[in-house]
Amino acid sequence: MATLKEIRNRIESVKNTRQITNAMRMVAASKLRKAQENILKARPYADYINDMLKTLKLKNKTTTHPLLVDVPEEGRIAFVIVTSDRGLCGSFNSQIIREAHKYIKQNPHADIICLGKKGFDYFKKHSRKITDSYTGLFNEMDFSVSKNVAEKLLDLYLEENYIKIDVLYNEFKSAIQQNITVKQLLPIIPIESDEVTTLDFIYEPDEDIIIEELGRKYVHVDIWRIMLESSAAEQGARMTAMDSATDNAAELIDVLTLYFNRARQAAITKEIIEIASGAEAIQ
Amino acid sequence: MDKLHLEVIQPFKIRISSDFDHIIVPGVDGDFGIDINHTPFITKIRPGILQLYKGNQIEKYAIHDGFVTVENNMIKIICEVVEKTNEINVKRAASSKERAEKRLKSSADDIDFRRAEVSLKRALVRLELGSK
Repeated sequence: MATLKEIRNRIESVKNTRQITNAMRMVAASKLRKAQENILKARPYADYINDMLKTLKLKNKTTTHPLLVDVPEEGRIAFVIVTSDRGLCGSFNSQIIREAHKYIKQNPHADIICLGKKGFDYFKKHSRKITDSYTGLFNEMDFSVSKNVAEKLLDLYLEENYIKIDVLYNEFKSAIQQNITVKQLLPIIPIESDEVTTLDFIYEPDEDIIIEELGRKYVHVDIWRIMLESSAAEQGARMTAMDSATDNAAELIDVLTLYFNRARQAAITKEIIEIASGAEAIQ
Repeated sequence: MDKLHLEVIQPFKIRISSDFDHIIVPGVDGDFGIDINHTPFITKIRPGILQLYKGNQIEKYAIHDGFVTVENNMIKIICEVVEKTNEINVKRAASSKERAEKRLKSSADDIDFRRAEVSLKRALVRLELGSK
């Protein structure tokens, strides 16, 4: 049996771990709230661009603008995988990677783009060719960061003749529930909405330029939303993981304390017996 | 009397949501004024000064990009950057103007002229509004 000192040390170390996991849980909770707030704040902007694009698409049903066309049958596909930069968030990344494998099985020739360090590390290790990667963005996330990513993806799409770009990411449902989604980023599919105006707008300079610029903005805000969703989901997953880690640590401390008390009691009993038998021997 | 309702929407917040009598927007094809019952209209915004008239008061903002739609006296502007006079850092604008000018003058190949031009325009707008 372990000595008293060993058990005491063990308890101390588990207590420290519990403190750390508890702190991480609280940090994740506050980051989660921030990401959630940003998702809500981005909504009017995104909705408005969506409505305008929808109107434009309805008006130009036969548009050949690459940002709004229907996906052709054959061609190259780019596949963006959004993971987190850091670990300790439960099964968050492994779930994404599992889904990514399913997608790659269906589209073996898709070019992989990694957003987030964990996915990049994984696919690099498993010797998949990675076309492009963006890592370390989630820590200092703001709109200009996501805009840069979006611009690079747009350039890639327009210059390399991809027929479409799909994004795989964790959609935020609630702190304990995430929803893995594949979304077509490009060409843009405006979301159905009721607020489509039938008014005949005058477009200045002309419709193609408006589509191009508006389409770019749409992708900017889409990437921004995807990164926020993923980040919120990541923090949610981390919160849950750290919560159960803290619980487990508490349980472990209870068990160890019990062992400690038993060992202490045993030591005391042993000493008493020794004294008693020593006294008896003298008599 | 009817009023124009203006909403200026940024990616992270609704910056302005209020009624005005008359609005002047810097469009790509020139500044244009919006009065009551303007025809439905969509245009891109160029770096310039957004002027909002309410009674005999006037509010001015530096605006750098985005779109404006006019529809039934409802004006919506989406943009990433919009700044009031007191939010403008004149020093920074001056130095970025210098930087952009230097870039435009240099003949190196790796310079993104479009970007330098845009940043010069932005700096000029900021300076124009900020130094008043």
